[in-house]
Amino acid sequence: MSDRDPPSAADHTDRDDAAPTDGRLTRPAEDRPPYVESTIIMTTVRVIAPFVLTLGVFVMFHGASSAGGGFQGGVIAATTVVMLGFAFGIEPIAAHLRNEHLAGLVLAGLGTFLLVGFGGYLVGDTFLQVSAYETLFHHGSKYSIELVEVGIGMVVAGVITGLFFLLGTGVDTAREATEPGEEDG
Amino acid sequence: MTPVEYLAAALVIGGTFFGLVATVGLLRLPDLYSRLHAASKSDTLGSVLAIAGTATVLGVTTESMKMVFLLLFLFLTSPTAAHAIARAGRAQDVEPVGENAAWDEDEGGETQ
Repeated sequence: MSDRDPPSAADHTDRDDAAPTDGRLTRPAEDRPPYVESTIIMTTVRVIAPFVLTLGVFVMFHGASSAGGGFQGGVIAATTVVMLGFAFGIEPIAAHLRNEHLAGLVLAGLGTFLLVGFGGYLVGDTFLQVSAYETLFHHGSKYSIELVEVGIGMVVAGVITGLFFLLGTGVDTAREATEPGEEDG
Repeated sequence: MTPVEYLAAALVIGGTFFGLVATVGLLRLPDLYSRLHAASKSDTLGSVLAIAGTATVLGVTTESMKMVFLLLFLFLTSPTAAHAIARAGRAQDVEPVGENAAWDEDEGGETQ
C-alpha cells in the first residue's frame, strides 16, 4: 500500500495519455499551472487554521444547548483542511489525509451515532431514547445528544474533505478509488 | 424598541446596503479584477456589519460569542480569499478590461 503513496510524475503522464479527457471536471495534473506559494495566504492560513478547527469543535459540542450542531461544526472543521489545501497545495494535503483515513472518520461517526441509537434499546425501550441515559449517569440525555452531534460532525467533516479532494485532485483521487474495485473484480 | 435594538437595526441596514453595493459592483463592472475590488471590500463590510448587528441584539451569550469569532475570521479570511483569487487570475493571464489596461511586461505573472 505504501509503495503506491508517492506516484511519480511520469506515471501520471502515461496514464493520462492512455485515457484522454472524457467529460471529467478537472484538468490532469500536468495541464494545470504549477503551484506557486504565496506568503500572504500561507501566513493567514497558518495563523487561522487552529482557531477555525477549535471553533468547529466548539460549535459541534455546543450544538445541543445553543445555535450550531454537528452539521455546521463539521463543515467548519472541514474548512480547515480546505484552507490548508488552498495555501499549501491540494496534492500534498491529500497525500497526508488518504481516502482510508477519511473513510475511517466517516465510519467512526456513523458508529458513534449507531452506538447511541441502539444503546437506547439497552437502557430504555426505543431507538435513540436519550432520556433513558439519565438512569446511567448525571445529565445522561444531554451528553448522549452531544455524542450524537459529534458523530454527525465527524461524518460531515469527512465527507466534505473527501469531496474537496475529489474536486481538487479530481482525476488522481478518482483513479485511486476505482483501482481496488477493479482488482477485486 | 430599545436603543440597543435601534443600534442593531442600524448595523443590519448598513450591512444590507454594503451587500447591495457589492452586488451592483459584481454585476456592472467589466472584468475579474474590478469585480473583485467591488465584491471583496463591500461584501466583507456588509457581512461583518450584519453579523455585528445580530450579535448586538443577542447580548452577551454563547451565540453572540460565536458571531464575534465569525466576524474576526471574516475580517481575516475575506481579504485573503480576494488576494488568492486575484493572484490566480494573474497566474492564468486573465486580462483586465478597459482603456489603458495592460500588464507591465517586466512584472512576472507568478510572483507577488
